[in-house]
Amino acid sequence: MGRRRRRRPDPADAARALPEAIAALSRTLPAAPSPETFRRAKFDRPEAAPALWRLLFRVLSPLPADGALASLALEAQARWVKSALRSQGYPRRALVQLPDEGSQGARELLLALAWLLARGPLPERLLTQSHVRLGDEMPVCECEALASPGLPAPGVEAEGCVDIRHVQWLTGKLRLRWRNLMAGQQEQCALLGKIHSYTRGCHSDRSLGHLSVPETELLRDPEGGRQLLQLLEKENARLEAALEWRRRELVFWQWMDTVLDACSPEDSPPTFLPRIPEPEAGVAGLLVRELQALQEELREAAEARRAAWQAAAGGHGPEWRAARRALQAAVAQDLAALQRSWEQDQGRARPHGPHRLSKKN
Amino acid sequence: MLPAECSRRLVAELRDALDSCAERQRQLEQSLRVSRRLLRVWEPAETPAPEPTPGPEINEEAPSSACPPSPQDLKELELLTQALEKAVRVRKGLSKAGEGVKVPSLKSGSASTATKASAPPSTSRCTGSRAPETKPPRGVHHPWVPTKDLPGRRLLLVGDGAHMGQGAGANKTEAGLRDQQIVPQAASQVPEAFTLKDKGALLRLPEAFRKAASRNARLWAQLSSMQTGDSADAAAATATATAKTQFLQKMQTAAGLPGSMLSTAEVGRLQKACSMLRLRMREELTADPKDWMQEYRSLLTLEGLQALAGQCLHRLQELRSAVVEQPQGLWPEGPPRAALPCGGGADPVWSPQLLLYSSTQELQTLAALRLRVAMLDQQVHLEKVLMAELLPLLREQEPLGRPWLALCRAAHCLLCEGGQHFLTVLQDEPADRLSPP
Repeated sequence: MGRRRRRRPDPADAARALPEAIAALSRTLPAAPSPETFRRAKFDRPEAAPALWRLLFRVLSPLPADGALASLALEAQARWVKSALRSQGYPRRALVQLPDEGSQGARELLLALAWLLARGPLPERLLTQSHVRLGDEMPVCECEALASPGLPAPGVEAEGCVDIRHVQWLTGKLRLRWRNLMAGQQEQCALLGKIHSYTRGCHSDRSLGHLSVPETELLRDPEGGRQLLQLLEKENARLEAALEWRRRELVFWQWMDTVLDACSPEDSPPTFLPRIPEPEAGVAGLLVRELQALQEELREAAEARRAAWQAAAGGHGPEWRAARRALQAAVAQDLAALQRSWEQDQGRARPHGPHRLSKKN
Repeated sequence: MLPAECSRRLVAELRDALDSCAERQRQLEQSLRVSRRLLRVWEPAETPAPEPTPGPEINEEAPSSACPPSPQDLKELELLTQALEKAVRVRKGLSKAGEGVKVPSLKSGSASTATKASAPPSTSRCTGSRAPETKPPRGVHHPWVPTKDLPGRRLLLVGDGAHMGQGAGANKTEAGLRDQQIVPQAASQVPEAFTLKDKGALLRLPEAFRKAASRNARLWAQLSSMQTGDSADAAAATATATAKTQFLQKMQTAAGLPGSMLSTAEVGRLQKACSMLRLRMREELTADPKDWMQEYRSLLTLEGLQALAGQCLHRLQELRSAVVEQPQGLWPEGPPRAALPCGGGADPVWSPQLLLYSSTQELQTLAALRLRVAMLDQQVHLEKVLMAELLPLLREQEPLGRPWLALCRAAHCLLCEGGQHFLTVLQDEPADRLSPP
């Protein structure tokens, strides 16, 4: 891109800038409503609310919309969105108070969307999530293993009491499933190796050297290939829209300020706070027990050593003082580094994400 | 029998684990299906229709009704085949010198019309076939019948005349049309069966696809550079960032709820803290101090770790109590389990990264290890859950009673033996119980 000329801002330009920014946003987000809906949302029009609920649901769900999620009723989606926003730390209570049936609160939903956009690179993240995979990919990190897939099943049957043997049976079943999975995985790797060797020299990109399964598949099945091409082109369109959004977004934030001002100020927190016990076996509950157990183990070990140390305290020379201070400093540094390793995101240091497999000779 | 709440939680966790395993299996089976199909003989995209549907390229001549090729045509084609085979041999010699086979690329526009195994003839093909010595026919519209240049390919006329090679370089449109009609009637055993093994190296990706893919890569690179902020317009970038921060602050101050919440990210961080502390503790406990300095250092470290563990616990409990004090009734049950962003959200923009491997063995080992990690992760989580549920029950029940023994045995099996081995519990009569004779 060449150097941009500094022009005097033309009022007509300014008037166009906001609609274009919103249009770009609408083109880059998946399942986004039309730009007109955003406008209506500012004035809290009821017809804008359902579309925004659906957009928020699509944006917040961890997996791209598959059949099961997309078919949830608006009410269920609205509830899920509220819960998801809260777990991310959404500060406004007005969202909670919106009725579940989804016809109100368009302005609040617009604020929620803007909040998500401000916190992080949302369009880019969504694009990466739905990126068309052209290669055979394998993740090089274990982040995926830690995340649990999808939403908890909505229809959790209220089971009666079970025998412990049923639990044992379920664990056995699980073990068997893993074993099958591993066998299947070995076969898949062998097949991949073959496909990669057989198509050596075919790729236009020299660094890749051979075709991947999606690419070979598109050659075998031209119809599927056409669909892949369509998806790729749609993604290209969304990428261009994202670039345009990034160029124009300033005017959007200025507009959002006015939207926020248009809202009535929130009430002070209610004085009556009902106390609801947190289920003990939630993830946080498990973690509490773990930390408590860990602390206990550490306490025992440390106390034992301290006692042993103090028993043998007499036999150290005069260089003891200086050495002690040095040791204390060293240990403090050590532990600070340890603490940093979980406080800060060390994500950049290690490789992450799916990598394209490529067989070299 | 286990109490109801406990049963429900245990079964729910195990069902979750089973479901996630099933999901992996489903995806794996899909990949296997695709890969196996690619390695077999490639069939035509659809089963041959009773009537051929000529593509739009075939305009002039109406397809004649199915009739066997005239002997004259067959002879011509036979001659042509021979000529082509000779050309193949010549070319093979050339290509061995490193020239590489020119394979016609698939035109994506015609991909939709190419329904049958035989290709619709086109003028370029015809002209190409007229000069077989110089070049292989270009513009063949089927990827798996890439060229006629392969030696040993029986193109035509295996004697009985019923077969007609696909796209056998027909120099007439009618002959080509007859191709289309005859091939579906021919035996399903197409002579030029395409297998990846034999002819995979000849494939080429279609032009449209290559263009789209390179545009895709270019756009991602642009987006990535915009993220890292080395775009030309730095002033606008900072103005935008300021506007965003201000907006967030305004949202926060106008809010009715406190900001710090027990979010998924926070829990993840604390979990990581716990496991790192535990690892470190293990290191310290297994290390053998050689002199008093090391001993002292180890002591200090343990005490420091204990303090850190206490801090984490305190923070976790603080955040949890904040959750409880909120009007929880208004919020729906528990936060949904969102996927943690990979790498802690370090780089949300996709960028092409390669993972090179040199042998199938390597790939298999890698995949097996990854799967094992995932399995062990799940197992660790399940064991934590089992411990949390079963151990309190054991403490509550009356020891040495029948149900207690059964539960003990099951708990031992699940927690200590990974569900694989069972203890046998025998009742041993103490000697003094036996009444003396």
